[in-house]
Amino acid sequence: MIEGKKLLLAEDDNLLAALLRYRLEKGGYQVSLSKDGKEVKEYLAEEVPDIIVSDIMMPYFSGIELIDFVRNELGSKTPIIIISSAGNEENVLTAFELGANDFISKPVSPSELIVRVKRELNNTKI
Amino acid sequence: MFSPITKSKPLNPRNLLSSLENMESMLNNFSFEELSSSEATHLKKSFKAFKEDLEKKVFGEPGTVAVEVKKEPTDGDMERNLSTSPNMLIAKVSHEIRTPLNGIVGFTDLLKEDGLTNSQLEKVNAIQSASYSLLEIINELLEYSKLSAGLEDFDTIDFNFHNVIKDVTYLCKTLITDKKVTLETDIDSSIPRILVGDPSKLSQILLNLLGNAIKFVEEGSIRLAIAKKRKIKDQLFLEFSIADTGIGIAESKLANIFDAFKQADDSTFLKYGGSGLGLSIVKQLIENLGGKISVSSTLGIGTTFKFDVPYTLGANEMLEQKQKPTIQKDKVRQSIKGMRILVFEDNLLNQRLIEERLKSWGCTTFITENAEYGLDILKKTKVDAVLMDLRMPKMNGFEVTQQIRQNKNAAIREIPVIALTADFSLGDKDKCRKYGIKDCILKPYDPDELMLTLLKNKKDGKMALAKEPEKKLDNTQDIKKSSKRIDLTPILKDCMNDVNLLQELIELYKFNALEFIGSAKTHIRYGDFEELGLAAHKIKAGLAMMQSHELHAIVVQIQEACKTEGDIKQLKSLYNCFLDEYPKVELTIDKAFAEIKRTQK
Repeated sequence: MIEGKKLLLAEDDNLLAALLRYRLEKGGYQVSLSKDGKEVKEYLAEEVPDIIVSDIMMPYFSGIELIDFVRNELGSKTPIIIISSAGNEENVLTAFELGANDFISKPVSPSELIVRVKRELNNTKI
Repeated sequence: MFSPITKSKPLNPRNLLSSLENMESMLNNFSFEELSSSEATHLKKSFKAFKEDLEKKVFGEPGTVAVEVKKEPTDGDMERNLSTSPNMLIAKVSHEIRTPLNGIVGFTDLLKEDGLTNSQLEKVNAIQSASYSLLEIINELLEYSKLSAGLEDFDTIDFNFHNVIKDVTYLCKTLITDKKVTLETDIDSSIPRILVGDPSKLSQILLNLLGNAIKFVEEGSIRLAIAKKRKIKDQLFLEFSIADTGIGIAESKLANIFDAFKQADDSTFLKYGGSGLGLSIVKQLIENLGGKISVSSTLGIGTTFKFDVPYTLGANEMLEQKQKPTIQKDKVRQSIKGMRILVFEDNLLNQRLIEERLKSWGCTTFITENAEYGLDILKKTKVDAVLMDLRMPKMNGFEVTQQIRQNKNAAIREIPVIALTADFSLGDKDKCRKYGIKDCILKPYDPDELMLTLLKNKKDGKMALAKEPEKKLDNTQDIKKSSKRIDLTPILKDCMNDVNLLQELIELYKFNALEFIGSAKTHIRYGDFEELGLAAHKIKAGLAMMQSHELHAIVVQIQEACKTEGDIKQLKSLYNCFLDEYPKVELTIDKAFAEIKRTQK
């Protein structure tokens, strides 16, 4: 069941964030939005979401650091989908090495993201 | 036994308060990006509460007279306290008087619109003129007592010297409309554009001295000359001279001309009014700025005031006037003529400046620093737009906006509020959006920008603009670029055809662009490549999303140039391209959105 699954959306671009949040909430997710690394850390100190969608470039705390933090500091296996900018292929490789589950490139298609999120959640169940 | 602490010199509460004020202003200017906005608000709030608490303890509850000295005066400090407490009282009382007085002035303005008979009009004018005189005296008293109590704050900021002088002379020229008086200026053009110091105190001094000259010269000339006197390391001493061909001052009176409450002649007050504090204030201001003032005069020939003030040379010359979009001023002016505008602004100089500007454009203005009075105006008369200073010491612009937005009267709720602010911070932007403030103007504002923003916020004003978008700008190359259409249907699809969401995204887009314009200006000024790069990155995706390909390309170039810490000149010209291009793109998006709304119906 997707209904009520907790999703952390870490995205500093408020436009993209507003669009994705709207679509994800319509899709039944309980979305928490963090605008930067500091807010991500604050959120993660309170709880671990069912899935994380994070931009790779954010102020104070990049998506790469976020993966490292979740996997190594928190020791959590919660799925992480990275949003990457075009031309950042190296970062995507690092993200995968550190334990990212999937990535999606900008410009992000919200419909595609929703499919990917759903797939990751189904994967973790199995 | 007493502890050693009691033997130490007691802390002067005034000094404590003034350093607290300093801390507060530092706190206000501190970049809160490192903190979450709730942390920052909390910090500010608790500091404010702490300060107010302390103020109460030192000066008593506001509006009451602080009974100050109970202990035996054992120290010189105590005597100084005694001597300044009347000043504190004056400062407080003056402030309390100023608010209702502003109300009287404003409402007589309204009264005049009610179709009065000539004889009634004459009486109302008399009330108004008396109120203005009283207001002037009160303002001077307030200023004088603040200065004497050492409570006046002096800024040390980068400012555009030549622009300040231009603003001052502009204001002074408005004061001499129907007299046979000319105002000439002679400014050494090699004085650097950017100096470090207190621009508002400089304009205060000049307005006072020039204002005096205008008052006392019936016919003749007034001349403001500014020259470089000497340069010591990075300190530049400027010499100002204000010479008039007025009635002159007798030698015997010259000696105490700068003393408080002294005018050359007791009859002077009868003829010209005023508190007699003006020159004393000027002298104190100049001395506080590290300068000196002197006067020479010959009866029947005229008077010359000379003063010098040291300024620190600006670290860089980046604070140049931004490239203005060339607008068809006459057309825009014609369209905003007759707009009724309420301005919330607490700085007296800014009040006058904006009032003059708006009046010269044929707008009716109501200016206040008092929330209640302003809201009263909204209730009692039709207002087309509100200009809101976001940072006022006594009142929070956001709270006032909220009161407007939550008003029972729908017409009041929907009045466009335009923010005036000296700095854009991310928190402010978000807040502006939350409070329904659509446009922000950076201070010191450019008249053209103010004009355009007013037009944009006028009912049907946008349409007037949209009709002739191409004519708005000079650059033919840019016109070609901006004539591209923007198709919002793909993004509408992403929004699951939810037009409201699309509208929200467009609003966000506009805010991001404005925020970028504001922050990039600062980053370029300080040559901060890293922050500029981040700002560019932040806006990039949104630009692409809204199909603003030209803007996107400009921003990508800015980002690249930041990575290599490239040429600041190139960055500036890219930034100017963005400034030129953005208004056109915004119009195109608005049109595209209007189109979508039509087809959805």
